[in-house]
Amino acid sequence: MSQAAPAATSHSSASANDRLHALEAELRSLSARSLEHSTQLEAMASVLQNAGQKDQLSMVVFSGSLDRLIAAFVLATGAAAMGMKVAMFFTFWGTSALRRPARVKKSPLERMFGWMLPRGARKLPLSQMNMAGGGPAMIRHIMKKKGVASVEEMIELSKELGVEINVCSMSMDLLGLKPEELIDYPAMTYCGAAKFLETAAPGKITLFL
Amino acid sequence: MPTIDARGKSCPMPIVLAAKALKEMAPGQTLTVVADDRAFPEDIRAWCRKTRHELVSLDSKERFFEAVVRKP
Repeated sequence: MSQAAPAATSHSSASANDRLHALEAELRSLSARSLEHSTQLEAMASVLQNAGQKDQLSMVVFSGSLDRLIAAFVLATGAAAMGMKVAMFFTFWGTSALRRPARVKKSPLERMFGWMLPRGARKLPLSQMNMAGGGPAMIRHIMKKKGVASVEEMIELSKELGVEINVCSMSMDLLGLKPEELIDYPAMTYCGAAKFLETAAPGKITLFL
Repeated sequence: MPTIDARGKSCPMPIVLAAKALKEMAPGQTLTVVADDRAFPEDIRAWCRKTRHELVSLDSKERFFEAVVRKP
């Protein structure tokens, strides 16, 4: 900072010149540092801006009941229509909603699970008032009458709107589900906890259904 | 003027159909959306705010709502 003036002080003009040079050098280094700081600040600002700011809806669909899946897909299609990125993560009983009737080779235990789990969105039970399948039939009838889109229709719509569907591979292994018995869905991937956490972390809305 | 008739359809269909139609339209064009879902007035307002579309008008007719939306 305070650079010592040259030893020879007899010529005041020479000394003034030196001081001028020293000041110039100092100014240059200061301006370089301030530039460096401003780029650092800009980088920090962009990090802060992106934290929890991504216009994205992430959903864990854990439940395999019709009512919860209606809620999940109403929000998914609604968010996609709002221009948000939507990422759904299907796990445990939720995976049943993505099944389609298909014959696949399985072990006896897997076959038993496969037989007990609903084969697709059309076969889902209600979480309440299921009444041995009478409840869902009634709800479906009312939905049709009231103009509420069915889960199957909303899955088709989700495809069109670019809703991303991820399926937990661990759940599939546990329940003995094979990729061949899941519906055709363009943006469907198999993933684990890390993929969900990484995807959901910067998003604004995350739901567990 | 292009029109979406979402009467008889419930949430989120009126918004989804409007969004889909507007996506295909050119900036400055307007779309009329007709719906009888009770949530429609609040939803179309929210949708326009979020997606920066202009809600030109929102009228409550006798049995339905009519919104006019302009693409930015």
